[in-house]
Order: sequence, then C-alpha cells, then structure tokens
Amino acid sequence: MITKFKKTENRRRLVLIVDDEYVNRELLGYILNDDYDLLYAENGKEALKMIRENSQALSLVLLDLFMPEMNGFELLEVLREDEELKGIPVIVLTSEKSAEVKSLKLGAADFIKKPYDVPEVILARVFRIIELSEDKLIIQETERDALTGLYNKQFFYKYAQHINRYHNKDKQMDYVVVNIDNFHLINEIYGRQFGDELLKFIAVSFRKFLIDVYGIACRVEADTFYMYCEHQESYEGLLEQIINVLTEITKTRIRLRMGIYDRQDQELEDEIKFDYAKLACNRIKGNFATSIAYYDMELHKSQIYSQRLINDIHEAIEQKQLMVFYQPKYGITTDEPQLRSAEALIRWRHPELGMISPGAFIPLFEENGLIQLLDDYVWKEAAAQIRAWKDKFGVTLPVSVNVSRIDIYDPNLKDNLLQIVEKNGLTTKDLYLEVTESAYAEDAGRLIEVVEELRRCGFKIEMDDFGSGYSSLNMLSTLPIDVLKLDMKFVRNMLEDSKSYRLIEIIMDIAKYLAVPVVAEGVEVEEQLKLLKQVGCEIIQGYYFSKPVPPEEFEKFFE
Amino acid sequence: MLTIDALKDFGADTSEGVTRCMGNEAFYLKLVKTVPDEPNFKRLSDAISAGDMETAFEAAHALKGIVANLSLKPIYEPVSELTEKLRAKQKGDYAGMLNEVMKQKERLTQMCAE
Repeated sequence: MITKFKKTENRRRLVLIVDDEYVNRELLGYILNDDYDLLYAENGKEALKMIRENSQALSLVLLDLFMPEMNGFELLEVLREDEELKGIPVIVLTSEKSAEVKSLKLGAADFIKKPYDVPEVILARVFRIIELSEDKLIIQETERDALTGLYNKQFFYKYAQHINRYHNKDKQMDYVVVNIDNFHLINEIYGRQFGDELLKFIAVSFRKFLIDVYGIACRVEADTFYMYCEHQESYEGLLEQIINVLTEITKTRIRLRMGIYDRQDQELEDEIKFDYAKLACNRIKGNFATSIAYYDMELHKSQIYSQRLINDIHEAIEQKQLMVFYQPKYGITTDEPQLRSAEALIRWRHPELGMISPGAFIPLFEENGLIQLLDDYVWKEAAAQIRAWKDKFGVTLPVSVNVSRIDIYDPNLKDNLLQIVEKNGLTTKDLYLEVTESAYAEDAGRLIEVVEELRRCGFKIEMDDFGSGYSSLNMLSTLPIDVLKLDMKFVRNMLEDSKSYRLIEIIMDIAKYLAVPVVAEGVEVEEQLKLLKQVGCEIIQGYYFSKPVPPEEFEKFFE
Repeated sequence: MLTIDALKDFGADTSEGVTRCMGNEAFYLKLVKTVPDEPNFKRLSDAISAGDMETAFEAAHALKGIVANLSLKPIYEPVSELTEKLRAKQKGDYAGMLNEVMKQKERLTQMCAE
C-alpha cells in the first residue's frame, strides 16, 4: 500500500509537523520521512513563522491541538483569515472526539487520531489530502479568470448547466451580459493597470451581488462579463451602484451596458441565450440614453431578418438581385454645372422581401465581413459600366466605389482592383476609391500604407463621410487622400443650423490646406448649392441633381 | 540495555508500538528511552501538589498522548484515568493516581538504566 502511494509521486512535497511532544513529532517524522521533506515545530507560534516562510512550498501541515504559546485552534484561526495561507491544508492530530467538529469549522481538512493508527493509514491520509488540495488548486486555476477570479467561460457554462440540471428547476433565470463602453479608450487614457483595476472592481461588485442573489458570473473576454442568476425585476440598482463607484475612482463617467435575456425558453441552449443577451447589449452601444436592454420580440425579429439576409446574399449575387445604381456628381465651379463623375450605390431587389434599403444590410455585412463580397461585386459592375458608357458615348466617366475597412486587410486588394481595371480596358484613374473617415481613425498605420500603395498605382482616394469620424488634425496632415467628401449631416443641417455651416467653412479651410477638392453629398435645394459654392465647394452630389438611378436612366446625363 | 522482551514483560503492547514505528524495533526503543526524561511527569506532580488542576490536566493529557503512541500500557492506564478525572474536574484521590503513574514510570526508568 505504501509503495502504491509512492509510485504516483514524482516531486517530494514539504510537510510541516507541529507537536509539542518530541515522541509524537519523531514518530510521525519517521513514518513520513521516506516520502516527504519535513519541517518540525514545537508550538503554534513557531509553526506560523515556518508556514509564512514556506507558504509557497508547503503542501501540508500536521497539527497537534494542545500546545503552549499558541495552540492548534488559534493557529487554525490565523490561517483561515490569511488569504495567502488559507489554501494550505491542515490535518489535525487529536485524541479528542469533541475537538473534531471545532477543527473542521476552523478549516481543518482531516484528522489523524492519537494514538496513531498504523502507518499505512497515516500515509494514505496525508497523500489523499495533499492530492485533493492540489487538484482543487489546479481546478481553481483553470476554472478562474486570473485577473478577476471569476469563472472563465468554459467552466461558467458547465456550472450553468449544473444549475439548470440540479438546482433551479422552478426558478426563472436571467442571462445577463455586461460590457464597458469604450474600454480600449479607458486603457489608453489611464493605462492598462488601471483598466485591470476597473475590471477587478466590477468582478467584486458581481460577487457581492451574488451573495444575496443565487447565481454565477464570469469574464468572457476583455471587458465583457456574463452573469447567470435568478430573475430580477430590475438591474438598475446594481448597475447604478457599480457605475457610481467607478465614477468615483476614475472621476469620469464610465458607462456600462447591460443586455438581458429573461425569456422562458427551455429549448434554447445557454450559449445562444447569452448570444441574445449580448445582441441586446450591443444594440444600445453608443446610445447614451439607456444602459439596460432586454432581448425582446422586436430584436428577435430583426435578428431573424438579419440572418435571412446573411443566408440569401450569396444567391443574391449569383442571381444578380443586387443592382448598382449611379448618382451623378456635378462640378459647380463653372457657370453651368458639369457632369464630372458618379458614385456607384448598391441596391438589393430581393425576390420575396422586395427592395431592401442598403441601410438594412450594409452595416450587417460590414460587421461580419460579407461586405467584401458586395464591394467586389460593385467594383466589377461599376468598371464594366464605365466601359459600356465609354463605348456608347465616347466619354470616360469616373465612378466612385466603396472600399470597406475589411478590404484594407485583404492582401489581394491591389491586384484585384488592377485586374478589374485592366479587364475592362480602363485606367486606374477611372475608378475612385472611397474610404470612410472612421476607417482611417481605427487603424491609421495599416490603412495609410495600403492607401499609399493604391495611389502609387494611380487610383484616386476619396475620404468619405468626412467630419463624422474622429481624425486628429495631426493625422489629417499626413493622410494620403485626393478628395474630401463632406459628411451628409452638415449639408442637411447647414441652412437651419449655423454651427453646421460654420463647420463646413472650417472643413473647407482644411481641404484648402491639404490642397484637395471637396465633394458635398446630400444637396437637395438650390440654396444649399449656392452657399456651398460660396465657401468654395467644387463638386456637388444629391437629389438637387438626381437621386441614384439605374444605369439606363443615368444615360440621360450624358446628353 | 532496554529490550523488546523486557518491555513486553513490563506490560507494553510492543507489537502495536513497533508497527507504529514502521516495524523498526530500534527506533521504537529509542523513543521509549526518552520517556523517563519527559518533563511532563514533573510538571504533573508539581501541579497536583500545588492544586493547579488546569496545568495538571495539560501535563497528563500530553503524557497520555506520548505513552499511548508508544503503547506503554502500564503508564497509559493510570495516566488516562487521571486525565479524564482532571478533565471532568472531579474531586478524587489525585495523589494516589499520581503515585501509580510515577511508580510505573520508575519501573520503566529502571529498565532503561539496566
């Protein structure tokens, strides 16, 4: 039996024997000596000192109860209160039946009776307790997120399942997702360590909350927490409490968002319910009016609709349900406006859902990367159209097409565009590439690199939606762009809102400084046109001239 | 020289005691030989003389633990009885019981000295 225990052991563990009696110490030491490295202490005080000195190495303490200086109970109490020491298992050595319960309550892991049992039993107990405590430690380390001490995702789901199966048969449970708004900015501004402290604080708040409320919590990734707990009428209190303290620490208003799935649907798996809660949470991203969102029917429908679009997009491309419309851009520096170029805009005529607005599918496809398919489709269609018009009217009308953020990361981007141009017998000057300002802000380094390469090939780069992103003035001066496109908002509000008008003036100054022309989108009435002309805007696009139209209809602008 | 046989004659359960010492007789004998010098004997008798029952209990309890582990029955039995009486804070013939403990201890001391 002894050898059996020995065989499974490779590393020798360190064990502390605490007893005021020489004979008892020697006896235990003799039994354990072959398998363990040993330390001896004659009383609790001496033992505590040794435990502190060896807290990382110590696998077990064998503790007598009745000793001078500090007795075993007193030592157990000290150990239990000490975060660093409470994980070290203690086996109590006692002849007193009555001492067992008290020791257990104080955190003892097991007992060895006095007079000692046969050595095999002592060895077995010592081995078992060390093994248990090491297993527990390993489980704790793997099931917990190192930073916050909350469960990690994998174990969290496991425990959630456990709760479902054994504990909450009649209880209604909530699936809660909590996210910090702009956490990367907090990290950037205050430093990573500070960000970590915030995450830890949130974890502590959840723990406190879960003392009274039955449930569990985990950190899923960076700044996203999941909580699975019994149904609450409201989470306002919890959220407010966390935010208040965070605000006090940071002196700025930290915003947390909470998404909740509280529907009674036994069919769905936990993962999916959390996905739904996350969806609700994401829906209020950037919406400062509300911090808590529930997954509801409306969201459910919109999600099913989105899924349908995702499912149908490949077929839509194959069956040419996607159509490219064109909106003319006119130069206004001359007396008579002159057709200068066009913008290609996508439309989807779905066989069952009818005409789908780009607003319904473009953000969706931007999110999941499918936008790349759409962009590629539009590039090819637009290039072929430029060619067709060139053949028919003898003029080359440049067309602007969208280049999404994800395209920038495609290593084949340049080759693909060059191929499209070449295939249609065009030059790179005929295809204008629109990149939104926010894309510049997100990964400026990479984007500038790619855009510069495209410009070297001869493509013209237009910065779309300028004024809506967060470009720093410093960054602007180094941006490789050929055209600024004014964000539509400014034009829309310029007549009523003097601030918008003023901003247009400022943007015009920036454009002048960068020596690039400005295109104004969304121009609907003559007054806007006049004002824009006054401030030096050179190109106009909008309903004032024409809405986006199918290519056949566009042909009238050539005449 | 102290031997296993002598201890058997003394009344000790040597087979139990030696088993506890992983079967090593020499180690068992070495431990037994420390018993006569165990300071708790003096502590016990001093405390009883002084009427300090608490200290007496501690000393008796400690002795009981030692002799139990070494299976020294002749000492264990009176010490155990004394311990329980002291624990229960019963009035009794402590001097008489102590006498029996010391008598057995003396026997062991003699054997160790031989």
